[in-house]
Amino acid sequence: MLFEKTCPYLAAAALLVGMAAARAQTPNGFAGSDKCAACHDEISKAFDKNPHHVVDTDKHLGHAGFACEACHGPGAKHTDSLSASDIRNPGKLTPDEQNKLCLSCHRNESTPVGRISGGHPEGGPGCVGCHSIHGTDHRPLVVHRAPEVNKMCSACHQAEWADFQQPHRHRLPEGAMSCVDCHNPHGSRGNEMMRTAFANEPGCFRCHGAMRGPFTYEHAPVRLEGCTDCHEAHGSENPRMLTRHEVRFVCLECHANLVTNPAPSGHQTLGGVPPAFHDLRNPRYQNCTVCHVKVHGSYVDGNLLR
Amino acid sequence: MRLLLLCLTIPGLALAQDQPAPAASSSPDQSTPAATSDFPISGSVELGYRFVPGVGGSQDVYNSTVNLSQGLRLINLDFNVAPVKSLFDHFEVQASSWGDPYNTTRVDISKDNVYRFTANYGNTAYFNFLPSYVNPAASTGAVLTESSFNTQIRTSGVELDILPGHWISPYIGWSRDSWYGSGITDFTMFPNNYPVNNSISDSTDTFRGGVQLQLKETHVVLEAGGTTFRDDQGENDNQLNNGDFTVPFLGQQLSLSSLNALYRVRGDSEYARGSIASNPLPWLSISGNFMYADPTLTTNYNSAENGTLFLPATFAFYNSGQDIATADANMPHSSGSLTVEVRPLKRMRVVEYWSTDRLHNAADSLLYEQYLETGSPFVNTSQANERLVLTNNEQQVEVFYDLLPNLTIRGGERFEWGGATVQGALLSELPLESTNLSRNTGLAGVSYRLKQTLRASADFEASSNPQDYFRTSLYNYWRLRSRAQWEFLPNWRLAGDFFEMNNSNPEPMVDLHFVSRAETASLTWLPKGGHNVNMLLEYTRSNVNSNILYLDPGTLASLPSIYLENGNTATALIELAPKAMGSFAPRFSFGGSLFTSAGSRPTDYYQPTARLSIPLAKGVLWNSEWSWYSLAERTYAFEDFRSNQLMMSLKYTHQPTR
Repeated sequence: MLFEKTCPYLAAAALLVGMAAARAQTPNGFAGSDKCAACHDEISKAFDKNPHHVVDTDKHLGHAGFACEACHGPGAKHTDSLSASDIRNPGKLTPDEQNKLCLSCHRNESTPVGRISGGHPEGGPGCVGCHSIHGTDHRPLVVHRAPEVNKMCSACHQAEWADFQQPHRHRLPEGAMSCVDCHNPHGSRGNEMMRTAFANEPGCFRCHGAMRGPFTYEHAPVRLEGCTDCHEAHGSENPRMLTRHEVRFVCLECHANLVTNPAPSGHQTLGGVPPAFHDLRNPRYQNCTVCHVKVHGSYVDGNLLR
Repeated sequence: MRLLLLCLTIPGLALAQDQPAPAASSSPDQSTPAATSDFPISGSVELGYRFVPGVGGSQDVYNSTVNLSQGLRLINLDFNVAPVKSLFDHFEVQASSWGDPYNTTRVDISKDNVYRFTANYGNTAYFNFLPSYVNPAASTGAVLTESSFNTQIRTSGVELDILPGHWISPYIGWSRDSWYGSGITDFTMFPNNYPVNNSISDSTDTFRGGVQLQLKETHVVLEAGGTTFRDDQGENDNQLNNGDFTVPFLGQQLSLSSLNALYRVRGDSEYARGSIASNPLPWLSISGNFMYADPTLTTNYNSAENGTLFLPATFAFYNSGQDIATADANMPHSSGSLTVEVRPLKRMRVVEYWSTDRLHNAADSLLYEQYLETGSPFVNTSQANERLVLTNNEQQVEVFYDLLPNLTIRGGERFEWGGATVQGALLSELPLESTNLSRNTGLAGVSYRLKQTLRASADFEASSNPQDYFRTSLYNYWRLRSRAQWEFLPNWRLAGDFFEMNNSNPEPMVDLHFVSRAETASLTWLPKGGHNVNMLLEYTRSNVNSNILYLDPGTLASLPSIYLENGNTATALIELAPKAMGSFAPRFSFGGSLFTSAGSRPTDYYQPTARLSIPLAKGVLWNSEWSWYSLAERTYAFEDFRSNQLMMSLKYTHQPTR
């Protein structure tokens, strides 16, 4: 009897204890993900399928139970007022501010190492320009399908995408490759955010391993200035994606100085004049790679003939 | 008793309601629709048949550029498997274009905080038979190429990350690229060269393992790996081959009656890399990395040829020859960089960057040649030591300042210096050639952003009076890139992009003037999210103009090499989805791309396309896609082609019910 009389009081006390305990686990000013989900149901459901949902579940990450507020900041005031002005919207921050926010967790990932020296930070899109943090509109956090990656990149890099409309190109329009196969959008130690292979070799060798060498007889520009010295990687009118319409013009622009006669400035450039039996009126000599078949480097011949 | 239960459960309920309770709301079992479905797989599969009525013009060039043929295709397969709690939270498979010359597959399986496994496969057919590239007989009207490929490039790889998201996360991986097939290449023996069959077979396997350490303010990645490489290319020909030199030479008709050449190249390398990023203070970020690779190659080459051939060394004809070569090459390559970002003021950040890149290729070769001449055999043994040494350094400092909350300006300076030593060029009379790099570049940029509607940026850099490696390298140059996007009306977006690079070298023997320019404008219309109608129009005008002196090898006279390309590219995509009439909700899209250029190699390449999608039943879609490919080259009209094709497919999508 006594128990039944006191039970409501015990229940009330337990409720208060429970609420206090709950409050103790939610930082001051924070509302918690459940409260966010009450209004933002669609976002919440999409977020649950998103890799970021581990932020809500993994205590080690420091935001368990209030993942939304890890990016949007404390939301208790917003849940009371329901005013958009009472909560941070990362989508409206400047790219630099967005990056800072994302990098507060991801700052030390291996890929963002290059961000501050890469091309994207300078007025670039910021992290949310490419990543759908909530995973809404059927956009995943990280896009993997090549056609979708290409569509996203070309939305800003239109001139580059125009290059791929030329007849000879890497197979991006066909969906066989994507921009990120060659470029690291987070930054790279190389120019144009080019990926690397085998630690510090040009990323082209990831697929074209036979060109890596080291060759017994190197063709110096391959090492000194890279593949793009002769090739237009995006697209070209030339059948081998060269920078000029015929191969001889690519070769002769460099192989046209007498190395024993430096320029008047005294500076010496590399490359030499081809021997005089190369009569350019003869079609044979207009196609340098008819004979110099190992133009990327040769295992056995210094003249790159075999 | 019920009251007792109530007493015990109320605090729990309160706790559950007020605390974030993440596990309850975000458990994968509850969040993934497939979990409540009878069938544990969601996704889509699209199967189709491509009709190619025929190719007008050059089939070889069509195969070199488009290479799509008639037949059944698995256009796309994309599915997720519902989580199995003890095994995985996420299981995704994507495959595309199976049956076509370019196909890919990707598998991604993970369990939160336990592991992540990814596997990739890609296969690209590389068919290249374009007479304009290597055609010594073009002047006679013959359409052939002496450098062609009918090959496949395959890449594959797997990676396993253990404990992703934890402070320590080891990973291991393997990847492979291979190139194999056949082709035509040239066997050169002065003064003739002979097109011969070429077999290509090489592969590189890469093994790697590493660990990511995520500490409170510091992240470290350490990785070590190795590669193995093999190249077993060969050349052979067993038919009488007169080569390109079709007139008698010193009274004899040169010919090759048989050739067997085989390369056996083996290589390996070890590499290591480490990177660190740290925020030791609120106003300071430091990141750096170091990379080292040491590839080595060993070559064994054997060639045996018969015929009526000429040997310049003895100025005599020979009938049978054999070359045996062995070579070793080694190229240690180390790179490092360090970036320091300082934020002395709220609106200002200063980024200082240093990097260095050093490689040294040392190679030795031994060549044994034996020729059976009409008189006595000629034997020659030659040994060579080759060097290529490169050192590149870079130092860059940039200051970013937020002039206004939405306006950032930046300025800085980059200094690059280094040197290269390479083997002396043919006829240079020097065993080694050396040169230096010294380039000082000024940097500037501005970015502006007005809410979500307007965004613009410009980047500029310029340099003068440097030293560089080649005649065509950057000398006196400037480069400008600017971009802008403007949502001038709701759902309407206008974007523009301008790029220009100008490089000149006034040295009398070079006289280089190079200009590359591209201007792009695009218009996007996405009313109501683009569900019923959307439009994308793009136009790019590009111009490349290169003018440089070269020495005509025959006369050693200076002549101008002029390259000019004026390109126009337009792309369009318009999608229409009229209001559904009951279950009939077709979707129609059309557009494509157009490229036309004038200048040194006038080319027109058109790729219009149209697509109709009709839902047949719930989750079943009928797609019809028509495409046209057309290449026209005014200089090389024998390479023109036209093709008209139709792809009909059925797509089935399964979305589990909740």
